[in-house]
Amino acid sequence: MQIQEALIALLVLGPLVFGLLMLTGVKGVLRNALVAVAGVTTIGAGVALPFYSGAIAPDVGLPTLITTLGNWIEPMVILTVLVIGFSIRSWPVRIMALIQLGLCVAGLLMSRHEPVEETKLVVDSLAMIMVLIVSVIGSLIALYAIGYMNGHEHHAPATAASNNRFFFVLISFLGLMNGLVLVDNMKWLSIFWEGTTLCSFFLIGHDGTPEAKASARRAITINVFGGLAMSVGVFLAAHNAESESLSVVMSKGPVVLLPIALLAIATMTKSAQMPFQSWLLGAMVAPTPVSALLHSSTMVKAGSYLILRMSPGLEGTPLAAVVAIAGAFTFALTSALAIGQSNGKKVLAYSTIANLGLISCCAAIGTPLAYAAGITILIFHAISKALLFLCVGTIEQSIGSRDIEDMGGLLFKMPLTTNIAIVGMISMMMPPFGMLIGKWMAIESAVHFPIVLILLVLGSALTIFFWAKWLGRITTTSYHEKYTIESISPWMRTVLAVIGIGVVVASICALPIYEQVIRPISLLTFSEQASNANISILDSVSAFLGWPMIIVIGAIIMALATGTLLFKPSRLRLPYLCGENVDSDETTYTFRSIADAPSTAMLTSYYLPLFGESRITTWANPLAALIILSLLGVLFI
Amino acid sequence: MIIPQTPLMVVLLVILAPLFGALLCGIDRRITARAQGRIGPPILQAVYDTIKLLRKEPMLLNRVQIVYAYLHLAFMILAMLLLVFGQDSLMFLFVFAFSTLSLVLGGMCVRSPYSRIGSQREIMLMVAYEPILILLMIGFYLVNGHSFMLSAPMTAAKPMLLSLPLLFIGFLVVLAIKMQKSPFDIATSHHAHQEIVKGLTIEYSGPYLAILEIAHFYEMALLFFFIVLFWSSPVWVGIILASLSFFLMTVVDNAFARLTSMWIFKFMWTGALILAVTNVLWLYWASK
Repeated sequence: MQIQEALIALLVLGPLVFGLLMLTGVKGVLRNALVAVAGVTTIGAGVALPFYSGAIAPDVGLPTLITTLGNWIEPMVILTVLVIGFSIRSWPVRIMALIQLGLCVAGLLMSRHEPVEETKLVVDSLAMIMVLIVSVIGSLIALYAIGYMNGHEHHAPATAASNNRFFFVLISFLGLMNGLVLVDNMKWLSIFWEGTTLCSFFLIGHDGTPEAKASARRAITINVFGGLAMSVGVFLAAHNAESESLSVVMSKGPVVLLPIALLAIATMTKSAQMPFQSWLLGAMVAPTPVSALLHSSTMVKAGSYLILRMSPGLEGTPLAAVVAIAGAFTFALTSALAIGQSNGKKVLAYSTIANLGLISCCAAIGTPLAYAAGITILIFHAISKALLFLCVGTIEQSIGSRDIEDMGGLLFKMPLTTNIAIVGMISMMMPPFGMLIGKWMAIESAVHFPIVLILLVLGSALTIFFWAKWLGRITTTSYHEKYTIESISPWMRTVLAVIGIGVVVASICALPIYEQVIRPISLLTFSEQASNANISILDSVSAFLGWPMIIVIGAIIMALATGTLLFKPSRLRLPYLCGENVDSDETTYTFRSIADAPSTAMLTSYYLPLFGESRITTWANPLAALIILSLLGVLFI
Repeated sequence: MIIPQTPLMVVLLVILAPLFGALLCGIDRRITARAQGRIGPPILQAVYDTIKLLRKEPMLLNRVQIVYAYLHLAFMILAMLLLVFGQDSLMFLFVFAFSTLSLVLGGMCVRSPYSRIGSQREIMLMVAYEPILILLMIGFYLVNGHSFMLSAPMTAAKPMLLSLPLLFIGFLVVLAIKMQKSPFDIATSHHAHQEIVKGLTIEYSGPYLAILEIAHFYEMALLFFFIVLFWSSPVWVGIILASLSFFLMTVVDNAFARLTSMWIFKFMWTGALILAVTNVLWLYWASK
C-alpha cells in the first residue's frame, strides 16, 4: 500500500512539480530533458500503478488535512477564474465565478459544525484505465511537443507566449487530470475540474492572435458554465445527501436527482456535446499537441469518465433516457457535420465529439453491455485519436495546410507519417480494431431505445463517409521507383511510431483487453443485472474477432508477394483520361485536349452543402439545448 | 435450415459460391438479351470472361491497388461465411461494408479522375443504404426473440417476410444498388455506358479486374442467400422469392434511366428509411 500511495502522489503531484520547474526559465536542452524526465516518470508511475494495487482496491483514505486544504484551494481556483474574467472583460465569466465563490463560502459556513468527512481516492480498474490513458498518452504527447514546439517557435506569431509557460501548463495538466480521475471527494473533483478548464484557457490562447484569444474566451465561458453547474450540483448534493463523496451520492437514489442532472450537464460541457461543441472546434487554433492532448484524448475524456462513473446513479432514473438521447443526437449530428468539412482538424474534432456523445449515451443506457461499450470506446478512441491529431499536426507543419484536399500524394512525400495516419484512420472504422467493437456493442445495447437506436444507426452510416473520403485522399499516389525518407524531429518521429505501434498492438489485444479488463468492470458495476440475458451478448463479442485479422494479414502477405513478384515497372500505365496523356513528373492529370492543347483534370471530394455547418447548427443547436433543458424538466414530472 | 460449420463446408462454399454467382450473372445477361430481342451469351459467359482476364498481363497504376483488390475479395468471402454460418448480424454488416470500402479505396488510391468520381459515388451509395441494412438486422432481432445471431432467422418458424414486409421493400432497393442495376449504377456498371466510363473499376485490368469480378460473384451469391432468409422454412419458397427478386432487378435495370447520386441519397434517407423505420417501430409496438 505504501508503494501505491507513493505512485499516486507521483502521478498527481509529480507533473505539478515538474511544471513549476519549467517556470524557472530553463532553456534549450535542459528544458527538453526536464520535459522528457517528467514524461517518462509519469508513464512509469501510470504503468506501475495497476501492479501495486490489489485485484479490487476500492478506497484509499487520505488524512483530514487534505480535506481542510481543499476548502482553501477551491476559493483560490475560483478567484483565478474571476481574475481571468476581469482580464478578458467577460461579464458571463465574472458572474458565474462570483456565484461559484458565493456557493463555496456558503458551503464552508454551513459545514463548519459537522465532523469532517474523510477524503477518499478511488483506485478501481476504471480509474486505473483512465490514469493509464492520461499518463501514457498524455506524456507521449508532451514528448512529441518537445519536437513540435521547437519548430513552432520559428513560425509562431510574435504575440505567442513563451514555450516555458506552455510546457508548465501542459505538464501540470497531466497531474490535474490524474487527480480528477482518482479522487472521490466532489469538492476536490471540482477543483481539478476547474483546473483543467484553466489549463485549456491558457493553452488555447497560447499564440495570442485575435483568433486564439477569441477561442480561449469561448472555451473558458462554456467550461465555467459547466463548472458552475457542477458547483451547484456538489453544493446541493452535500446538502441533500450529506456527503461529498461521489460514489455515496450516486447510490442515494431519488433525493439527489437534481445534483445528478447538474453534474450530467457539467460532463456535457466538458466533453463538448451539442450545443456546447463550439469551444472544442475553436480550440483547433492552438498548437497541435494541445489539440491532441486536451481536446481528443484526455481533457474531453474527463466528461466521459465522470458520466461513466455516474452511470449507476443514472440507471433507472428518468434522467437516463434524456442523457442517452442527448448523446445519440450529438453522435448523429456531429457525424453529419464532419462530412461537410475539408479542414482535417475539424473533421477530427467533430469525430471526437461524436464518439464522446456515444460514450455518454452508453453510460446512460446503463446495462452491462452498454457500459462495456462505453469503456471500450473510451480506451480505443483515446489512442487512435491522439495518433491522428499528431499526424495531422506533423503534416500541417510540413505542407503548411490542414486541408484534406491538399493531402494527396503524401504517401510519397511523408511516408512514415502518412502510413501511421492510415493505420490511425483504419483503426477508427475497421474490424477488428477496438473502435468498431465498441460501436458494435453500442448499437446492440441501444436496441431497446428506438430513438437512440435510430440516431446511432444514422450516425454510424455517416461516419463511413468522412473517413473513407479522407483515407482515399491520403492514400492517393502515383508510382515512384524509390522511397523517400522524411525529415522530422526525432522526438516526433519516435512518438508517432510508438503510438502507431500501440494502436496496432491494442487492436490485436482487443479481445484479451475486453475479456480481462472491461468485462469484469462492467459486471462489477452492474452486478444486479449480472444474471440477465444481457450477459450472453457480452459473451458473444468474442465469437468472431479472430477471423478478420487473419484474413487481412493473409491478404496483405498475398498481395505483397504477388505484387512484388509479378509487378514490373514496365507494366505501369498512366490513368485513362479520355485523351492522350501528357507525361510529366508533377501530375498525371494532364491530357491532350482539343487541338492537342494540354488540359488538366481537376477533382475534389464531395463536401456536401447539405451538411454545411451553418445549415445544420441553426436548427440542431437549439434542439440540443432543448434536450438538455428537458433534463431538468423531467425532474418535475 | 442450418448449415454445419465444418472445414469441408467452408471449402465447398468458397469454391461453389462464385460459380453460383457467375451463373446468376449469366442468367441475368441472357434475360436482358431476350428482352432486347437478342440471343445473348452462353449462361457461363461470366466464367469464361473471368478465366480470360486471369490469364492477361497485369497492368496497373501503382502497387497499392493490388492490396485493395485482395482485401475486397477476402472480406467479401468472410462476409459470406459469416452470413451462411449464422453469425452475429452486425458483425456481418461491418465486414460486408469494409469489403465495399476496400473497393472504394482501391478506386481512390490512383490519380485517375473517373475512378475517383466512381469511388466518391460509391461511398455516397454506402451511406445511403447502410442504415436500411442495420435497421433490417434490428428487425431480425426484434422478430427473433432478441437474438442478433443470423442463425435465428434461418430457424424461425414464421417467415421473416410476413413480419418485415416494409423492410423487405427497402432491402430490394439496396439489392438494386449492390447489383449495380440501373437506376442505381452510378458508381460503376457492367456496361460502361455512362459518363464516367467504367467509374470505380476503370483503372483495374487483367487479373486484378478478375479478382474484383470474382468478389462480385461472391456478393451475388451472398445477396441471394440473404433473400432466402426472408422465407427460410420451407426453404424452396425462399429460393423462389430470391429468384423472383433477382428477376425483378433485371426488369428494373432495363426499364429505368440512371439517376444522380444526390437523388439516390435523398431517396434512401427519406422514402426507404421511412419504410424501414415504420416497420421497426411497429415491431417495437407489437412487442410491448
